[in-house]
Amino acid sequence: MPGWSRRARALPPGLIPDMRALILNGALAGDEGLRPIEEALGSALSARGCAVERIRLRDVFIAYCKGCFDCWVKTPGVCATKDGAGSITRAMARSDLIVLLSPITFGGYSSELKKVLDRSIGIVSPFFTRLHGEVHHKPRYARYPALLAIGVTEDRDPAEAQIFARLVDRNAINYHAPAHVAAIVSRDDSPGQIRTAIGRAVAQLLVQGGAA
Amino acid sequence: MTIARAVLLVGSAKPAGTSTSEVLGRYLCARLAERGVATTVLFVGRSPASRAERQLLAALADANLFVLATPVYVDSLPYLVTRTLEYVSQSAPKWRAPCAFAALINCGFPEPEQCRTALDIAQAFAARAGLDWAGGLALGEGGAIDGGPLERLGGLTRHVRAALDLAAAALAEGHPVPPAAIARLARLMMPARLYTLMGNIGWRRRAARNDLRSPLDARPFDLDAKG
Repeated sequence: MPGWSRRARALPPGLIPDMRALILNGALAGDEGLRPIEEALGSALSARGCAVERIRLRDVFIAYCKGCFDCWVKTPGVCATKDGAGSITRAMARSDLIVLLSPITFGGYSSELKKVLDRSIGIVSPFFTRLHGEVHHKPRYARYPALLAIGVTEDRDPAEAQIFARLVDRNAINYHAPAHVAAIVSRDDSPGQIRTAIGRAVAQLLVQGGAA
Repeated sequence: MTIARAVLLVGSAKPAGTSTSEVLGRYLCARLAERGVATTVLFVGRSPASRAERQLLAALADANLFVLATPVYVDSLPYLVTRTLEYVSQSAPKWRAPCAFAALINCGFPEPEQCRTALDIAQAFAARAGLDWAGGLALGEGGAIDGGPLERLGGLTRHVRAALDLAAAALAEGHPVPPAAIARLARLMMPARLYTLMGNIGWRRRAARNDLRSPLDARPFDLDAKG
């Protein structure tokens, strides 16, 4: 889908002012290694004119998803459990770009990030439709944010990197993301290498979305 | 190698006795028990470092087979399962004997292939935790079972039971899940069009019982919406 943000379409190459980016940091308790990556992401997006909101998920009380589907059949679009997930899900739905920052955990996201993603299914409709030859949930909203996933690895395990990339591809389908990119950085990377990887990922996202 | 002790971890957050994951896992356990395997059924803990997690670790120390039965949430393992597996992996258990790990994963979409990423994550966990990957089983159309006993669903789940019978026979002997079991379980319980039609009707029926204040397709977080 060309044009991942209504506002991005008519802008000069590489500039995306007034766009809202939401960084969800899924670092586990005691892990400070993702903070410099979060800072670099915030700087890269701010430099392109984005209004950036950053949330370190472990600092927010969020209960687990009970699998009750009330967000579909009782309080449509809103989880019935009242805690920190409500405002985060609202921010997700209203953003132009969601950045998923997480230590790669068996190829997937950390539990801290997964907790809020599980609670966000009200963003889509319960009703089924066919997409890419498969059954998925219909979109609830007219537009959805792009996805940028940054996986942080200790040992660059190739199998886990592959799983991570495929997971982001799958999430993009189910979240109806108009553009998505998965990138991997290592905890051993220098600040320069991290900035380069993030800059490349953001540029790739803009190209995909037709805003570059 | 024959298996003496197996641990089933049910990954659903739903109350005990109500989830499709538990139904599938318990059926597999019953077949393992018929073959002389002592089985323990545990549920994912609701809070970090909970008694349930410590119980799991203790049970795994004596097990030769660890089976995870779980739904797919957002293309991967649910939060509670992810956190539990993080705990198991970080606790670096010293397995007293080689322990195999198998995953039995169901999703609410018709295509079992939509369990693929979750299965891959389960396999990657096995590698990190020092467990021997014994294979994964994927079931689509999980909503058709909806926590009901497999036997009572009759012909609808005949191939599901046959697949789990085959898997249990292999696992009890210390073998991986055979391709025939994976292929059988991948068969649809009903045509995808019928499943999605019934699913869509089911959502409306459940909503009708709830006396909704807003329509099912409400957009509470639209930019022009309040709040």
